[in-house]
Amino acid sequence: MSNTLSKKELIARGILSQNPIFKLALSMCPAVGMSTTVVTGLMLGSAVFFVQVFSSLTISLIKNFIHPRIRIPTYTLVIATWVTVIDLVLAAYFPAAYAQMGIFIKLIVAFAIITMRLEMFACKESVSDSVVDGAGMGLGFLIGMVCLGFVRELIGNGTVLGYEIFSFKPFMFFILPCAGFFVVGLMMAFFNWIEARYRARMERKS
Amino acid sequence: MPETKPKSAKRDILSIVFRLTLTCLVAGLIMGTAFLLTHDAKERNEIQRNEKVMYSLLGYNEQNPAPQSMKMYPIHRYILDENQNLSVGYVIPAMDENSALLVVLDLEGNFVKQYPIAHKFGLQNNNNEDLVVQNTVGASILARFADTILVVTDNGKRTAYILDGKYPGFKTLIHIKMALNDKFDVLGFEVLEHEEDPGLGAEITQPYFKNQFNNRPAEKMKTLEVTKDPMPDDYRNALTGKGNLSNEQKGQILAQHKDDPIYALTGATISSRSVLNGNKAMVKKFVYRIEMLDKVIQSQNIQTVLKN
Amino acid sequence: MMNKKFRDILIVVAAAFVIFAVVAVIMLWPAKSDGPILKQSFENADEIVLTVDDSVAIGNIIPNDVSVFEQDDPDIQMHPVQVYAGKQKNTVVLKFQDPLNQAHPHIVNIEGIAKDPVSLTVERSYWGYLVSILISALLINNYVFTKYLGLCVFFGTSRRKSTATGMGIVFTIVMLVSAILSWLFYKFILVPFHLDFLQVVVFIGLVSLTVQAVDTILRKVNPILFKSFGVFLVLVIANCIIIAVPLDMASNHYNLAETIMLALGAGGGFLLALYLMSNVRERIELAPIPESFKGLPIAFMTAGQFALAFLGFSGLQIF
Repeated sequence: MSNTLSKKELIARGILSQNPIFKLALSMCPAVGMSTTVVTGLMLGSAVFFVQVFSSLTISLIKNFIHPRIRIPTYTLVIATWVTVIDLVLAAYFPAAYAQMGIFIKLIVAFAIITMRLEMFACKESVSDSVVDGAGMGLGFLIGMVCLGFVRELIGNGTVLGYEIFSFKPFMFFILPCAGFFVVGLMMAFFNWIEARYRARMERKS
Repeated sequence: MPETKPKSAKRDILSIVFRLTLTCLVAGLIMGTAFLLTHDAKERNEIQRNEKVMYSLLGYNEQNPAPQSMKMYPIHRYILDENQNLSVGYVIPAMDENSALLVVLDLEGNFVKQYPIAHKFGLQNNNNEDLVVQNTVGASILARFADTILVVTDNGKRTAYILDGKYPGFKTLIHIKMALNDKFDVLGFEVLEHEEDPGLGAEITQPYFKNQFNNRPAEKMKTLEVTKDPMPDDYRNALTGKGNLSNEQKGQILAQHKDDPIYALTGATISSRSVLNGNKAMVKKFVYRIEMLDKVIQSQNIQTVLKN
Repeated sequence: MMNKKFRDILIVVAAAFVIFAVVAVIMLWPAKSDGPILKQSFENADEIVLTVDDSVAIGNIIPNDVSVFEQDDPDIQMHPVQVYAGKQKNTVVLKFQDPLNQAHPHIVNIEGIAKDPVSLTVERSYWGYLVSILISALLINNYVFTKYLGLCVFFGTSRRKSTATGMGIVFTIVMLVSAILSWLFYKFILVPFHLDFLQVVVFIGLVSLTVQAVDTILRKVNPILFKSFGVFLVLVIANCIIIAVPLDMASNHYNLAETIMLALGAGGGFLLALYLMSNVRERIELAPIPESFKGLPIAFMTAGQFALAFLGFSGLQIF
């Protein structure tokens, strides 16, 4: 056990300093393709959260049973199992949401972020820490998706969660699917800019 | 590892195989259980969703549920091929609940013959029912399923029809359900599947586009055109129900625009035109067929619940 | 340096050449002759064009001689509103009042041009359909720019032209092999035993297997090639396109030929996207851009512009 962070810090790390979308720039496909509205972002984010937490839990439970030479295939199998489970559940009980997410829900299996968390954390740490770490990463992804969805829905369609905020569409381009690239790029640049300003101020103080 | 190298390699492989097999088994077990648990719910939900679409097209919803006296009957159409001689067979419900009739018409719409079938046909055709029809006509004729029309009756009187259609859109096929009333006015249509561009062609699912077709008589559908003019604001509000209009005002505005052409979607004229052309063709074919079938039912005095 | 540039150009030219060759062969594919009508095809939305032999007097065909119906609607006969000679020699244009539903085969019956009435089927050619799957996956529904898949690997390996082409080629090869394997498994195991719900597990397993196999074979057969391409093999599995293609194949019920076309199109589309992007990114590195935009943000903006450009392919129909 090499983990020195408390559970709170683990969650904060997933959301802020190692946010999978804005900081690690992993799993960009859903960030561009599925963030047109808050609701779609929220739905896919929850699905990823579920898969991440359960995969982390499973792997940390069976970490002593996994043969080191077939580590990666085992991770893939575990992730694929949970993706299949959530795919079946969504298709059965939330058909409308499922239809909206389309192929992305099955593609969670190829998201680099989940495998990375299993390899870097869950296969070494205790069960509770792994679950918290998975939850932190999942939450980070969820929050990132909701942020993107919020910006795109508000500016592109003048609504938030379907409720009208502006009576007009400020910049309809943002809700077009291909605008996802621009929105993600702009937001990344925005966060870079804030970070640079913050760092400059810190230096000036010291 | 303390063991000698070859031995450990052998044990390694055995252990890998054992562990992988066990993991696979457990994973399979989990997925299998999930599948079994969700399978029924999925099928039930699909049927429910389909019904919901149909009821909403007919104007029924939770506040205004369909009356108990309402019934739906399927008419399945089959193409009958006897050595290149084509004819059309309609499977229609018979007088009693559990049997049906196969009425065969030639290509000009003249009655050829009818077969009784002791089978209750569902609202959606399936392979099993195709077999029943094939067995009825005999091996020398090849029966191929074509499409299904649903006839809605209330207290035995026909009130509406529901059609199913697929036609090419801008990118791929558009799959729709359409409802017409007994006088062949369009009650509305619902897009079930499509792959048009989001924000452009995908707007065909929006009320301000699709509601433009509502209350158009079949006669007028024939000559309906698409225009690129911008849609008048009052018409748009009446179609979407925005702008706090009373039902009276809404009716007035809709009546005012009832002979307008279809206003094309901005940036998606081709999608709009595809939908119009597809809907036009569907209505035209349907009206032609149902009138022909009705004529035959009357003239041959065929015993069916659809006779009234 | 010159050598590499030359190789890049060669690859793109070769790819373009292969596509054009395939298209040309199909366009010029000799049609089966069937009585006096040599060839038949859909033209504009409301036209059927027939190529006839010299025995037919085109001017003598009147609209009432011709009746057309969709294969599923033999009871609804349509007559053209106009029959006239086309621009090319020996062609007849049948013009209809309403647009035809060209997704369905149409049966044309013509009386009066031969002893017996002539009956023929007009449908989109299957070869054309295959090519349209390829073109669709390559351009219209490019997996990177219009479906937004495979972006992690896309942004990770598009910094240099050499890595971009290497990645694209390796990916296309693995894609092709794994798609064929997936098709076999899907067709002969998943469908017959109603194990559809295992799609995700089986497909990802097959992809890993293919990557492992290519890795082992390449290492043994050509160590030099392995040295330059081996690194990309690991990245292939992190690319969601490789799993999206078998899923698309399954949902569209493609057969083997169609699956191969889809895989080639998806792989080629990824290669194309990488190549285009790497060209731009090599130049961007020399350009003065704001500090906060450096690196990924500007790459995203560039990709967005490519995506906008690829939106222009939407609705493109060649066949």
